[in-house]
Amino acid sequence: MSSKGNTSGADPSWGKRSDLEVLNRDIRRVDGPDKATGRAVYTHDVRLPNMLHAAVLMHPVPRADIRTMDISAAEALPGVVYVLRVKEDGKDVQYSGDDAVLAVVAAESPEAAMDGVRAIVVDAENKEPVVSTERAKEPDAPLVARRRRATSNITSRRARGEEDAVKAALEASAAMVEMEIEIPVQHHVCLEPHGHVVDPGGEGENATVYASTQAVSGMSGAFAGKGMLNRKASEIRALTPHMGGGFGAKFGPGLEGRLAAQIARATGRPVHLVLSRSNEFTMGGNRSGSKQSLKLGADKTGKFTAIHVVAERHGGFGGGAFPGAPYRYAVPSVFVDTMSVKTATDSSRAMRAPGHPQASFGMESVVDQIAYALKMDPVDVRKKNLTADTHHRQLDRVAQEIGWNDHPNRTAPGTPKNGRAVGIGFGVAGWSPGGRDCQCDVTVHPDGSVISATATQDLGTGARTYVAAIVAEELGLTVDQVTPRIGDSDLPPSVASGGSVTTGSSAPAIKDAAHKMREALEAKLEPVLQAPVGGYIWTGGRVHSEEDPTNSLAWTEVCALLRDPLQVSGRFQKSLYEGRIHGVQAAKVEVDTMTGRVKVLKMVAMQDQGLPLNRMALRSQINGGMIQALSYGLLERRVFDESDGYLLSDNLDLYKIAGAQEMPEMVAIIDDEDERDSVCGMAEAPIIPGQSAIANAIYNACGARLTRMPFTPDNVLEAIHGEV
Amino acid sequence: MQPFDLKTPKSLDEAIAELPAERSYTAPQILAGGQDILTVMKDDIAAPEALVEIGGLGLSGIEMSDGGDLRIGATTTIQEIADHAGIQASFPAIAEAAKSIASPQIRSQATLGGNLHQKPRCPYYRHSAVNCIKKGGSVCLAEFGFNKYAAILGGGPSYFSHPSDMAVALIAMGASVEIQGPSGTRTEKLGDYYVGPEVSVETETKLKANEVATRITVPAPAKGSVSTYYKFKERASYDFALSAAGIHLLVEGGTIKYASVVLGGVAPKPWHSPEAEKALVGQPMKAETWTAAGEAAVADAAPLDMNGYKVHLVKGVLFRALESLA
Repeated sequence: MSSKGNTSGADPSWGKRSDLEVLNRDIRRVDGPDKATGRAVYTHDVRLPNMLHAAVLMHPVPRADIRTMDISAAEALPGVVYVLRVKEDGKDVQYSGDDAVLAVVAAESPEAAMDGVRAIVVDAENKEPVVSTERAKEPDAPLVARRRRATSNITSRRARGEEDAVKAALEASAAMVEMEIEIPVQHHVCLEPHGHVVDPGGEGENATVYASTQAVSGMSGAFAGKGMLNRKASEIRALTPHMGGGFGAKFGPGLEGRLAAQIARATGRPVHLVLSRSNEFTMGGNRSGSKQSLKLGADKTGKFTAIHVVAERHGGFGGGAFPGAPYRYAVPSVFVDTMSVKTATDSSRAMRAPGHPQASFGMESVVDQIAYALKMDPVDVRKKNLTADTHHRQLDRVAQEIGWNDHPNRTAPGTPKNGRAVGIGFGVAGWSPGGRDCQCDVTVHPDGSVISATATQDLGTGARTYVAAIVAEELGLTVDQVTPRIGDSDLPPSVASGGSVTTGSSAPAIKDAAHKMREALEAKLEPVLQAPVGGYIWTGGRVHSEEDPTNSLAWTEVCALLRDPLQVSGRFQKSLYEGRIHGVQAAKVEVDTMTGRVKVLKMVAMQDQGLPLNRMALRSQINGGMIQALSYGLLERRVFDESDGYLLSDNLDLYKIAGAQEMPEMVAIIDDEDERDSVCGMAEAPIIPGQSAIANAIYNACGARLTRMPFTPDNVLEAIHGEV
Repeated sequence: MQPFDLKTPKSLDEAIAELPAERSYTAPQILAGGQDILTVMKDDIAAPEALVEIGGLGLSGIEMSDGGDLRIGATTTIQEIADHAGIQASFPAIAEAAKSIASPQIRSQATLGGNLHQKPRCPYYRHSAVNCIKKGGSVCLAEFGFNKYAAILGGGPSYFSHPSDMAVALIAMGASVEIQGPSGTRTEKLGDYYVGPEVSVETETKLKANEVATRITVPAPAKGSVSTYYKFKERASYDFALSAAGIHLLVEGGTIKYASVVLGGVAPKPWHSPEAEKALVGQPMKAETWTAAGEAAVADAAPLDMNGYKVHLVKGVLFRALESLA
């Protein structure tokens, strides 16, 4: 990039967008060919000499007393090397999830490990499963909450606001809508399940952990300690060159990491323990379900007056997530009563914008409904109650792109013709992406090769690409001239990828390192090109002094001035980051009211995030958010058998996720009116409002209000016909 | 999945000789495309000591006679059927059914015989830890449990919905199945070949353990007749039928002269609906008639707790299927 205005010792800045030569453009992923051809090695692919394969035995129902477990037949099987008893005889299983893991079999082959699992004989007495929240709430339901002195499965109940005043304000409102919302539990469905390959190393050697993780820097410490590898963190190297998705479910080693470490320690051999798809659905975490009762009031101009929300978090054995109410809109009088309803099922975990899609679905449904109750345009009603200018301009642009202005039903739902109807709906988002300390080293070799190194992991977002691109921009190089190194705990520490924190933390650190490298090189150039540090333009693989463009050197000539490799270290700089973003989405659907089929025809999403580092990766993230929200809205639902407690949807046959036929036309719009000189992550915002926009589009099409997700034919036909 | 022997007989007679007299959890079974039997083994529904491979025994291929009769060998792949120009032209219902199945990878491997004989997809039946009535247990857990995908017609004592698409389309087209066993060959009308759980709870067809279904034959459709297979999948990309209709019609002068209606995804066997046919024949080809056929088809439906929506869905599916033939 050019360096106008940069003087010696100046703070790094992203620079004027018009000056950028690498960033704010479409940059192909540097690891794209590896991923597309299968060359990329994921944790699941790691095969080491002498490696054991482990398989997990789980109890098939959530609550049981394990009387005895006989592992002798498994131990005697050919190929079985080690059987780790996880649940001792006489202990109980308290929930479907980690607590249902009874044993792990490690063997010379995956097949032998599975044969070993099958050979274990368990004598258990199964107990009432308590998988439904309705059952869990009943006074005589067995207590699943582990907290001492708990008397109910309803926990963490907290009310906020003056309920009487809110009720009075609702009654005095020109319009009031009430809605009961039901949202099932969603799974992360990472392409790569949770797991590790743990190599304990030989005598006097360090240990290596290949981990499918969102937190590679933390893994050395997490695998140290007594219950784990019983080594110092400094003796453990964690590697995550590629990982097949996390979405919030992969922060620590988890139980599966601990078990792999224990077997590796006991046998002295590398252990491959990656969860099966069934294990993954049972113990890999989930997005909590939700039940919400909402009442929203508005005056006759469409301005909201009051909101009353009672919300349950269905986080299984965990607490679940719900960010409160009102979600994103300004409402003067608020009463919110939230609680967790515990069931004997796997704990919820963070999942891409934890709690927010649930809150969005409740809020956007009543916001939409009250607009129609007032016979007003739902876009206008949204704008009346959203304070940020960014939301207003994004609503206008998205409405234009989806065709709202020419749409016939803007203040009342349409009427199906021959059972078919087309509708449009909207939803808004918001997020505060994090940014915190993070480090990066940039190294330039005398031969001109460049390395940009930070321990961060690429969850599929394109992080690896900007690790190179930011350095290339600063030094006037192309992306392929910089080698990015990531996914290794031996590299300068980076943050765990949660809360959209990765870009906001690591990009400033990379920028800082790149800037320091540039200044270090400019110091070496002073005697050659006679300009001071800060007086150079780096562009097109050359550097010249700002004063005299003919006074220049090629990149390789600059590097040839170095006697030894030059390395600098950068750190997170707060001035390069700002974590406040918005987002608006719209959906256009066709509903077949005869069959209950909802076909999403088009989705439009608009997103702000400061400087777009890589426009192509950014659009990919926005598209991914729309796809995941569409799948959540149209199909996804965890299913337990409520009387015996079997998890029936522990497979991709019954746990349905959207495929190619479900994909609509997708338009991802980068909000270029956001001219902030800062960066941040943005991937959580675009997951938030998609399913809400789809439900609102269904209503707009045909007047059927979908209050229960997913919008499968059973729920759509019920919304159309009443109880079926 | 338990270890097994793979038998590769050189002739159909040798294959039949490898098959057991009675079915059991460990008794040998047929292997053709492997798209169902391997999942059955992985789900611990069966652990056959041997699989008897019938590929390469001359059972594959599609023939159309000069008169337009169709013969399809049992090991013909679903993709070959979907791609066959003659079937597409004369038997669109059969080509459409083939095209609607699973994914390109599965269609290229799965066979017609395997599709017709696949085991139920009920999540209880497929769950390793569950011993349901179809696996020798005492109750159908879907009856009072999760029954969103279960049968609304012909259920009891088990309530799964039959998963085969090909069977629905073939029965609508009047197909027959040729069967070979130790004592020779026989032919059954495919419409009579499937048996409901009230007749046999553990099996879905009249095929005996030591028999092989070798070929499907379909008579040439009446000149001017039309047919379709309309499959409604919950997930359009890849799914079994939530409800489906195989329809063969002869419409002359705007009046329906002949109708064959078979429903899929709603009963433990492909569900022939004489009620819907009666509502169609002699009536004008128009929306009111299609609605009446739907009403007639579900008049006797007995939905469970979670599948009442299928009553509406079947009506919608029949309407859309008939509409597509107008």
